[in-house]
Amino acid sequence: MTATTTDRGVHLTGLTKVFGEGDAAVHALKGIDLEIASGELVVVIGPSGSGKTTLCNIIGGIETATDGTVTVAGEDISKTKPSKLSDFRRDHVGFIFQFFNLIPTLTARENVEMIVEMTGRGDNTQVAAHLESVGLGDKLDSFPAQLSGGQQQRVAVARALATDPDILLADEPTGALDLPTGRQILELLQELNRQGKTIIIVTHNLSVGQIADRVITVVDGDIESIKTNETPAAAADVTW
Amino acid sequence: MKATTKKAFRDLWRSKAQVIAVAITIMLGVMIYIASAGAFQNLSASYQATYDRLNFADWTATGGDTDAIAQAALDAGATDAITRTQVDPPMLIEETKLVGRTIGVPTDAHPSINDVDVIDGDYLDDGATDQVLLEKHGAETFDLEPGDTIEIFAATGWVEVTIQGVVDSPEYLWLARSSQEIISDPNSFAVVFAPEESVQQWFGVEPNQTLVVVPNGADARVATDATQPWETDTGVAVSDAMTDAGASAVESQEDQPSNATLSEDLKGFDQLSVAFPALFLIAAGVTSWVLLTRRILQETPVIGTMMASGAKRGRVLRHYVFQGLLMGGVGAILGVALGIPANSAMTSAYTGFIGVPDTVVLNYPWMLVIGFVFGITVGMLGALGPAITASHIAPAQAMRPASNSSTPGAYSRWVARQTWIPVSGRMALRDIVRSKRRTFATMMGTVLALILVLTSVGMMTSILSAMNTQFEDIELEDATAVAQAGVGAEDALNDVDGVETVEPTVLGQVAIEGPDGSYKTTLTGYEPDTQMHCFFGPDGEGVSLPSDGILAGEFLAEEIGVEAGDTVTISTDAGETEVTLVGFLNEPLGTSAYATNATASALLPDEGTEAFALAFDEDADRDEVRQTITQLDGVVAYQDVRAIVAQLDQYLGLFWVFIGMMILLGTVLALAVMYVTMSVNVVERTNELATMRAAGVPLRKVAGAVATENLLATIIAIPFGLVLGVWAAAQFLASFSDDLFTLEPAWGVWTLPAAAAGVLLAALISQWPASRAIKKVDIARVVRERAA
Ligand SMILES: Nc1ncnc2c1ncn2[C@@H]1O[C@H](COP(=O)(O)OP(=O)(O)O)[C@@H](O)[C@H]1O
Ligand SMILES: [Mg+2]
Repeated sequence: MTATTTDRGVHLTGLTKVFGEGDAAVHALKGIDLEIASGELVVVIGPSGSGKTTLCNIIGGIETATDGTVTVAGEDISKTKPSKLSDFRRDHVGFIFQFFNLIPTLTARENVEMIVEMTGRGDNTQVAAHLESVGLGDKLDSFPAQLSGGQQQRVAVARALATDPDILLADEPTGALDLPTGRQILELLQELNRQGKTIIIVTHNLSVGQIADRVITVVDGDIESIKTNETPAAAADVTW
Repeated sequence: MKATTKKAFRDLWRSKAQVIAVAITIMLGVMIYIASAGAFQNLSASYQATYDRLNFADWTATGGDTDAIAQAALDAGATDAITRTQVDPPMLIEETKLVGRTIGVPTDAHPSINDVDVIDGDYLDDGATDQVLLEKHGAETFDLEPGDTIEIFAATGWVEVTIQGVVDSPEYLWLARSSQEIISDPNSFAVVFAPEESVQQWFGVEPNQTLVVVPNGADARVATDATQPWETDTGVAVSDAMTDAGASAVESQEDQPSNATLSEDLKGFDQLSVAFPALFLIAAGVTSWVLLTRRILQETPVIGTMMASGAKRGRVLRHYVFQGLLMGGVGAILGVALGIPANSAMTSAYTGFIGVPDTVVLNYPWMLVIGFVFGITVGMLGALGPAITASHIAPAQAMRPASNSSTPGAYSRWVARQTWIPVSGRMALRDIVRSKRRTFATMMGTVLALILVLTSVGMMTSILSAMNTQFEDIELEDATAVAQAGVGAEDALNDVDGVETVEPTVLGQVAIEGPDGSYKTTLTGYEPDTQMHCFFGPDGEGVSLPSDGILAGEFLAEEIGVEAGDTVTISTDAGETEVTLVGFLNEPLGTSAYATNATASALLPDEGTEAFALAFDEDADRDEVRQTITQLDGVVAYQDVRAIVAQLDQYLGLFWVFIGMMILLGTVLALAVMYVTMSVNVVERTNELATMRAAGVPLRKVAGAVATENLLATIIAIPFGLVLGVWAAAQFLASFSDDLFTLEPAWGVWTLPAAAAGVLLAALISQWPASRAIKKVDIARVVRERAA
C-alpha cells in the first residue's frame, strides 16, 4: 500500500478514554494501538460494556480521546476542538446507527438531500443513485413510516454515503433488525466495501465477524485479539 | 426518597431552564393577582381609614332649618349631627381669581364630623376671625403655605385672611366641586375652612348644611343585608327624617362627589386586577402542559416498560401530576412571596399619587391562599392532560424504538413535490403539521403573548386616542371664562394678549329626565356656527346644533331610556322644560348636553352672568393668560382645558401604573412562553438534530432549520393572536367604559404591526437559547441513549 492510502485509514496509538473522575472514573479504553487500512472491512466485537461504542465514536469524531493519538483519513483529531470536529465528520465519516434516526416528515430522498444540503458536501443529483445503490430505487418518495425497518436502515446507509465519506462507521447496524433484514444490510455494507469504502462495523454479534477482513475483539477496554480472515464469508451466508 | 420522587426531581432538573420559565409565568400570575387584588382592597381600606379617622359624614343634608334637621336626625337614631355654613365665593389666590368654597368650622375644637387633618401649620386659633385652613390641593396648585394670605370676596367686599394650616379633608381627597364637575381645572377651584362665625358674618347667611353620622353597628347591617351604615334601617330613617324636616337635598357618603369619583376610579381597576392575572395563569398552564407533554413523549418507551412490569395507571398518572405540582408549587410560593411586597408597593404608589392621607397595607390571608392554590392548580392542570396520556401508554410501546408518526397525508405529499423549496424549508413546512400538539403549543405561546400585550397596549392607545379626539377634534376651545353680565367682558377678553377668538357660550347644570330615569350633567350652549366645538354623531359624521332642541352623549340613550327625536324634561333651578332630544353625540369623555346659545339660555336660570369660550394663539403663555383674565373686572370663573387633561391623567394614574406593569410583564411572559415552546421543540427533536450533527452539519445550519420551523409557527399564529388580542382589548374597554369614558378600541396605525413584530422578535430572541440547547446536545449521549 502507498503512503497516501495509508493516510486515508485509521491510525491509533495509546488511545485511552476515561469517563468521569476520581472514584467514579471509568476506564473505557486502556491504551489501544490499531491500524485500519483504507479499503478494509473491520468488525469490532466484544461483550457489552467493553468499549466498542467508545472506540467507534472516537474514530468518528463524536467523542474525544483522553490520551493517545487518533489519526483518521490523514487528520490528527486527538487535539481537535469539538467545534472543529463537525467539519472533520462532514469531510471524512458517515455514521449508521442502530436506530435509523430518520426525520419522519421527510421522504427517503429528502432525508438524504437534507444532509447534502445542510453539510454542503455531496451532490444532490446523486441522491437517487445512492438510494438505488442501496436498493431503494422504487421508494424514493416514501416516508419513513411507509418503510420497513430494513428499508429505513438502507435510507440511513444512503444518507451516510451522501457526503462521500472515507470511512463508514456502523454501530450495531443490525441491532434493531431481524435476521434476513440484518443480513441484507450486511450484504449492502460488504458490497460498498468491495467498491472501495473503508468500513468499521461495531457489534456484540460474533457471527458478523465472518464477513470481515479482520475481526478485532475488544474486552474490558483493551484489544484482546486481532484475527485476519483470509477469505471473508459472503454476508448472505451468515447466520445467527 | 422514593425512586419515583427522585425521578421527578431529576426530570425537572434536567430541563431546569424550562421549569424555571414555567415557574416564572406561574409566579407572575400569582404575584400580579395578589398585588392588584390586594391593592384594590387596600385602596378601599385606605380611604375608609381616613374616613373613619376624620368622621366622614354618612349623610349630608342641604338647605332648610339646619337645627331642626339635625334634631330630626338625632331623633331618628343618628349618633351625631352638626350644622355648618358653606358658601362658594370668588377668591383671589396668588394673582388668580376663581370661585372657591368656604366651609365653616368651629375654632374651639375640631368639627366632630368631616374633620380635617392638619398636615402643615396649625388648626384655627380659638376665637380667630381672619384665619383659614387651606385644603391641600389648593396649597399644591398655588404653592401656598401657612402664613401666606388669600382674599375672599365677602358681601362687604374683599376680605384678606391668613392661612393658618394646610389640611386634608375626607370630602376633598379628590378635588371636585360637584358630581358634575369631577374633572376640572384645579386652578379654578379651592376649598378653605374658616371660622363658622366669620363665614356667617362675611356672607350674611345662616348655616345651610347638616352633617350626620349614623350607627355603624354590624348588627344593624346584617339585619338588613346592608353593607354601609347609611343603607341600614336607621340610616334610611335618618335620611327620611331630614327630608321631612325640610332639607332640600340629602346626599349619602356614597354619592359624595369625591368619594363617588374615587370609587368609580377603583371600579374599573377591580376587573383588571382579576382579568390580567388570569391571562398569566392560563399562559402558565399552557407552558407547563407543553413541557410535560414533551417529556412524556420522550419517555414513552420507559413508561411502556413500567406498564409492562405491571405499574398501575393511577401510579403513572400521579407521577406526572406530581411534577406539575412541583412546578406550580415553586411558582406559587415565589408568587406569594413577591406578591406581598408588590401589593404594598402598588398600594403606596396609588395612595401617594392621589394623596390619600392613610395608607393601609394588609395582606389578606384568603387572597394569599387563593393565589397559592391557583398557582398550584395551574401547574397541576397543565400536567393532567399529559399525565393521562402517559397513563394510557400501552406496554407494547416499550419495544418500539422511535415514536414514529403516522403516515404523512396528502399535504405532506404535496409539499414533497415542491422540489423548488430547499429540503430544510420543506421540512419546516411539514413539521408544522407533523406534531399538531407541538405546533399548537408554539402558536399558543404566540397567541397568548399577543393577547396580553395587545390588551394592555390597546387600552393605552384607546384612552390616548379618546383624549386626543376629545381635546383635539371635539373641544376646540382652550378655556372658558364666566363674567358678570353687562361689564363688557367680551371686548376685554378679546384684548387679552394670547387670546385669539372669543365666542359667547352658555354653561349650566341640568337634570335630563326620560322614561327610565334622570341624569345630571352639564348643558353647554354655543353659537349655531361655533368654532369652539365640533359635534360628531354616533356614526362619526359631523352634525350641527339644532335650531331647536338639544344634542346629548350616547350614554344617555340607555341610561334614561330615550331615542333620538324623543321629548325629554330638562330640570334646573329655574324649573322644568320639555325639549326635543334631537340626536346623540359620540364623545369619548363625559356625557354632556349641547344646544344653541338661544336654546340653552332659555332652559337655564338667569344668573346674571355670561360665559365665553376662548381660543388661544399658538404661543400663548397659559399661566399669564389665566392671571390676566381672572383679574379682569367682572370675571368670576375660569377653566383651562389643558389643566383638565392633567386632572384626567391623575384620574387615570392607577390605570397607567397598571398598564405599564402589564406591558412590561406581558413582554416577560411572552418571552417565557416562547422560550419554553421553542426550546421544547428542540429537545423533542434531539435525535434528528444529533444525527445531523453527527453527519457534520454545522451548528448554525441545524439551528437555522429549527428556527425556520419555530418562526413559521409564530407567523401562522400571529393573525390569530392579533384577532383575539383585539377582541380581548375590546372586552376590557367595554368593561371599563361608563358615563365618564366612552371608550372605543383605537389602534394607531403602528400598534398591530409593532405588536406582531415584537412577538416575532421575541420568537427570534428565543432562538438564541434554543440554539444553545442544540449546541449542548451531547451527540455521543444521544447516540448511546438511542443505542440502549
Ligand atoms: N458517558 C459515559 N460516562 C461514564 N461512563 C461511560 C460513558 N459512556 C460509556 N461509559 C462506560 O464505558 C464503558 C464502555 O462503554 P461502551 O463503549 O458503550 O461499551 P460497548 O459499546 O462495548 O457496550 C462502559 O463501562 C460504560 O459504562
Ligand atoms: Mg455499544
